[in-house]
Amino acid sequence: MPVERVGQQETEKARLGALKSGSAVAWRELLACYGPRLLRYATRMVGARATAEEILQDSLVTVYRTIARFDGRCSLKSWLYRAVHNRAIDELRRRKRYVDVGDDPERDYFNAAGHWQHECPGWDGMAAKRLDDKRLLIQVRDQLDRLPHSHREILLMKEVDGLDPADICAALEITPGNFRLRLHRARAALRAAVVRE
Amino acid sequence: MVYIKCTDVVAKVSDILDGEAGRLTRMRFYGHVMMCRNCRRYLAQFKRIKELAGKVTPDDLPPDFDQVMNFVIREIDKPDG
Ligand SMILES: [Zn+2]
Repeated sequence: MPVERVGQQETEKARLGALKSGSAVAWRELLACYGPRLLRYATRMVGARATAEEILQDSLVTVYRTIARFDGRCSLKSWLYRAVHNRAIDELRRRKRYVDVGDDPERDYFNAAGHWQHECPGWDGMAAKRLDDKRLLIQVRDQLDRLPHSHREILLMKEVDGLDPADICAALEITPGNFRLRLHRARAALRAAVVRE
Repeated sequence: MVYIKCTDVVAKVSDILDGEAGRLTRMRFYGHVMMCRNCRRYLAQFKRIKELAGKVTPDDLPPDFDQVMNFVIREIDKPDG
């Protein structure tokens, strides 16, 4: 194992020890470090800031109360994300607002032989270079916020928050193979939504 | 070289862009893309949108963010936990 990775594990172990012993300093540090990004994640998942704040408060308090049960098999970061994510999904389901993967946006693209049956929709490579970055970025962000939640969660963790695949698998409780498949489908859905605009 | 279909190309884009594809897959992929205008276009769009998704900056924190955190801190500072 690389020295750097060993060092990280030691730091995490020490941090976990301090958290389990109830060190107020350690808890404050943890909240300062992860609170902002967890709130942003929750906000993009549920759409409403006030609801996201409630979700964050509830899940962090739960994390605090159940830290003794945390066995360190996954990272602390992924455990925090899992807590916020599960609470957000519960809230969306309770309000009947959870949207699972919709229809495959690419289903009509190909013929039975596996080739494009029409032109690939949207701009071509040259036009893409000329597209205004800022305008396109706004479209990407808007469409990201409208994707089904099962796509959105994985793109938020991977592309926006830059979490490691292992942390995402632990947070979403999925296998690496499932992660690769879902990430690809989510990106494809985002592409389809943006070019449809 | 074994010929691959457009559907195979589209299915492999993420593996290619994330460096998860083997050499043979990469060769077949780019061999197809060179010859197929639609797959070339799809790849360009996919790559661009993936890059931009990584540039989506998080929203600003709410003005009352400190209150949210203070609530949690008060909660964890309670002697009975
Ligand atoms: Zn093709």
